[in-house]
Amino acid sequence: MAIGPRLRGRPAHTPGPTFLSYTPNGRKLITVGLNNAMRIFETGSDAEPITIDDVQDAHTAIAAANGFFVVGSEDGTVCKYSLETNSLDGLLVRSTLPIRDIALSPDGIWAAVASDELVVKIVNTHDMERVMYLREQPKPAKHVSFDPSGSYIAVSCTDGVVYVYSLSSEEPELIKKVHGLVRALESDAEASSRVVWHPDGRAFAAPTATRDIQVMSKSDWERQRTFSSGHSREITALAWSLNGALLATAGADRNIVLWDTKTQTIIKRFDQNSVRATILDMQWHPTENLLSYTNNDGELYLHTDIVPPEHASLLEMSLQGAPLIHDPLKEISGNAGRMIASGLMRSGDISGKRFGTPDSLDEILGNDGNSESGLDFIEDDDGAGYVEEANGNGKRTSGHLGNGIAPPPKRPNYNNDWRSPIHMHESFQPGSTPWRGSRRYLCLNLTGFVWTVDQTTHHTITVEFYDQDRFRDFHFTDPFLYDKASLNEHGTLFSCPASVQHPCTIYYRPHETWTTRVDWRVELPAEEEATSIALSSSYVVATTSKGYVRVYSLFGVPLQIFRQKSSPAIACAAWRDYVLTIGNGPLKAGRRTCLQYSIENVKRDQTCQDCDTIPLVSNASLVNVFFSDSGDPCIYDTDGVLLVLQHWRTMGQAKWVPLLDTKQMARLQSGRKKELHWPVAVAREKFHCIILKGGETEPYFPRPLLSEFDFHVPVATLAPSTDDEEEAQVGTEVQRLEESFVRKELLLTLMTDLVHSTNATHAQTVELARAEVDVDKTLLQLIAAECREGEERGMKALEIVGLMKDRTGRMLEAASKIATRFQRDVLREKIDALAERRLVGLEEVEET
Amino acid sequence: MALPLPPGLTPSEVGFLCEMEQVTIIPRQRLDGLELLGGPTEPLRPPFPVPLPLWLALLLKKQKRADISPPTWLSVEVLTQILDFEMDERTAELFSPSQDLPAPTTTAPLDGDPYLAHDALELSPPFLKDAATSRAQKDALPYHWNELGHLLLTHAADNFVEPDMVRKLLRDLREVRMSKLRKGFKVLDAGAGTQLNNVGGMEIAEVRGFVVGVVDGLRRLNHSREESRKEREDEERENGIGSSSYRDDEDEDML
Repeated sequence: MAIGPRLRGRPAHTPGPTFLSYTPNGRKLITVGLNNAMRIFETGSDAEPITIDDVQDAHTAIAAANGFFVVGSEDGTVCKYSLETNSLDGLLVRSTLPIRDIALSPDGIWAAVASDELVVKIVNTHDMERVMYLREQPKPAKHVSFDPSGSYIAVSCTDGVVYVYSLSSEEPELIKKVHGLVRALESDAEASSRVVWHPDGRAFAAPTATRDIQVMSKSDWERQRTFSSGHSREITALAWSLNGALLATAGADRNIVLWDTKTQTIIKRFDQNSVRATILDMQWHPTENLLSYTNNDGELYLHTDIVPPEHASLLEMSLQGAPLIHDPLKEISGNAGRMIASGLMRSGDISGKRFGTPDSLDEILGNDGNSESGLDFIEDDDGAGYVEEANGNGKRTSGHLGNGIAPPPKRPNYNNDWRSPIHMHESFQPGSTPWRGSRRYLCLNLTGFVWTVDQTTHHTITVEFYDQDRFRDFHFTDPFLYDKASLNEHGTLFSCPASVQHPCTIYYRPHETWTTRVDWRVELPAEEEATSIALSSSYVVATTSKGYVRVYSLFGVPLQIFRQKSSPAIACAAWRDYVLTIGNGPLKAGRRTCLQYSIENVKRDQTCQDCDTIPLVSNASLVNVFFSDSGDPCIYDTDGVLLVLQHWRTMGQAKWVPLLDTKQMARLQSGRKKELHWPVAVAREKFHCIILKGGETEPYFPRPLLSEFDFHVPVATLAPSTDDEEEAQVGTEVQRLEESFVRKELLLTLMTDLVHSTNATHAQTVELARAEVDVDKTLLQLIAAECREGEERGMKALEIVGLMKDRTGRMLEAASKIATRFQRDVLREKIDALAERRLVGLEEVEET
Repeated sequence: MALPLPPGLTPSEVGFLCEMEQVTIIPRQRLDGLELLGGPTEPLRPPFPVPLPLWLALLLKKQKRADISPPTWLSVEVLTQILDFEMDERTAELFSPSQDLPAPTTTAPLDGDPYLAHDALELSPPFLKDAATSRAQKDALPYHWNELGHLLLTHAADNFVEPDMVRKLLRDLREVRMSKLRKGFKVLDAGAGTQLNNVGGMEIAEVRGFVVGVVDGLRRLNHSREESRKEREDEERENGIGSSSYRDDEDEDML
């Protein structure tokens, strides 16, 4: 109704700054201004407003809850008024300096008061003696705002920094100082530096110095989308519509602009002709197409039907997501095939959860901490699993999708309400991280790293190497928007998803050649997407959304294409001629799919392992899969366990053996450190990872250093320190040796398999012999430790002697010497007898 | 020809000795192992960290062939912690403890057993194994802390997270510890001493000239008194009981 009757302001107060607030149910609108009256307007009634007279004048802030409202004035008092009796309910807090802003928490229990004092007070509205203080800002605060869950509060300070506090603990805790977002303004300036939280709680918006509105996400404090070039002077007020689909802003240029959140475009502008004075405060009506605003001339405007009819449907939509650049909930890269592959998934995501009755409390009041969809209400800071947490790839499990973002269907879906969703493992590209802000790593390994920067119209990709001598770093502009990469010492492999201009493309770029560079591209058939890619020293592998595994040579010759037996595919890895593919297999208990892997030798066209299971316990998921430098497949799961595949060259013999449990490492045993490990590689019998501290789930920029850890097979728990120091010492010594034996034995079998199945070099054979001796040495030490323990351990010692691999008899001789030294004569005799039997070959006969 | 230098080591000599310490580097290019007098070095394969002597690490760093990863005790948290210890009133008399000495490994558990023999090459204090590598003890300063910190901050400042903060903390630490050392000299007297436990190499080199001078001066001042005491004692002995004189003479000779 833009052409309707000319909008008429209601003179509410004497000319001067005027502020307003709706009650959350939208029934009443309260305004305060320069004079000592407060006016309460009933929505939808043109009757004369109720006026409450007050002793103070020059009110500067107001916030209303359903039953009461709180008013702050220039003389530093904050009073609470009842809406039932329309009278003064009491003084809430008194400050020595003028009040600048008041915000009520969504549940109405806490009122945050910003004054010209340095400290922001958060007062309990029912018990004014309970006060929390926010003390970190060095200058007075200008605005305060609670996030939709009420567990965070953002304070816009006059020094141009936004301070975000967490209120979940007893004492408010500063979690972030956001520099350079808002301008430094005087506390009584008309221009605003207010932070407004998007109703979905994942992001907030604030006016910047360049008169744009910048959205910033709460999870990683990265700058997201901007609403730009809307105003020619400072922004003075801004407000999200209750579903977050629209943003209204007003500026000192006397323009009101309505923005579409999703596209950040202007859908309607009201210029100087319709706006008489600078608007200082504006608020959407909670349900109707109505924006109310007050100006600095004492007037209130109730702008009905402000959203033009062609866009009015935006207001009726359910809660919309915040405008993030790479919305983790909307964009699941590489999982395009996932939905198609299981028709159940889509309905499964939102099933299992009842929908509220129409006009339920939550629908009217919006989300708070108690709502069913209260987003991130529970801070899962100790990882005990109160909430569905993102898995190691930073991707959320599918159950999360119902969380306030997915639009509830128009009518309830009756046929699968009883059915719990199937948890399928999402596909991932090994070694990549999800978008964070505008950057992500496409590949991180021991050769180097590939990262990309989103420049909105295109990406820029940088490849850097650790070995600066052999390789040269390179950088290129990427119009194809590559989202997967694989890097090794021979070249870099990229793949991009299909778009309007081109189908899904695989691009290989070798590092060096002796002729001109021969990089090549392969386009996949239409509607086929690469879900993961891998590069070995002789092949290029891609798993696709159609369930194919495609193998190319390093020059782009298609060598093989076959349907993956377990699909949809999750990941793939390649080493020399071997290709490892992982897919979702049949359902197992807990309605999760069982992960299955297959290993093929492409060159000999042999299958090494066929649809064997990847044993993951209950809720764990796969974080990374890679080949170690000696060519053994390794996986790392969200439980922090590194597993290696033993005997995988023989069909049916393969088993996954734990090499390291990062959660049991000694450095974490004190309990003081909290850190996650992001796996990078297994090389030189060490686990290389990136240590993530401070609750991060994936590495970010600048690139953190690699750390290396020795393997430690979880044979026994770390011995707790006992009173009996001596006893504990011996116990841990034996345990340490036993662990060392199991670990060396495992590495020996891996090496033996490698040496026997390939044309081993001389060095490898020597190394193998050395490793065998090493295992026996550990056994000798173990025998010594057992002998030291006492006579009664003789049987165990003899058993350990029997485990020795050495066939020359030298080891047994040494063992017998040890027994002599500890004067275990019986043991010595038995060892000698065993040695004799072995010498004549009796033992072998017995064994067979 | 008289050596013009004061007794003891000059700071640059201490710094030179410190270059024997091993530090961990992250190579940026390949290099095969080198046969050095101090033992062979490991081959460099990026990005695997390798311990190398400091002089070689600095050489590689200057040629941009490697990055030095500073030891943990050169981090802001650890240095702050140590500085707090030094400033604490309860430990005003003490220097912060140095790194633990490794367990003695000279006696193998089984003699003559080739399989159980320990590494033949063993560094002796103050050159502890891994004093400044990434495996170094995290909460204590090694003997060469001052020199090493200075060298690393001069040549490899870009490998620190907060080089300026580390530099400032090192300077604070040096001043606090030097003032403690100077406090010890107040009680210097003939025959008195000051305890130098846990004092670093550079600190000893710095105070050596002064302390030696003071002690020598004191000795000279007390010389005449000593002489007269000795003469008096000799006289007493001569006038004393004759039976013990023979043995006293022998003692004199032995002195």
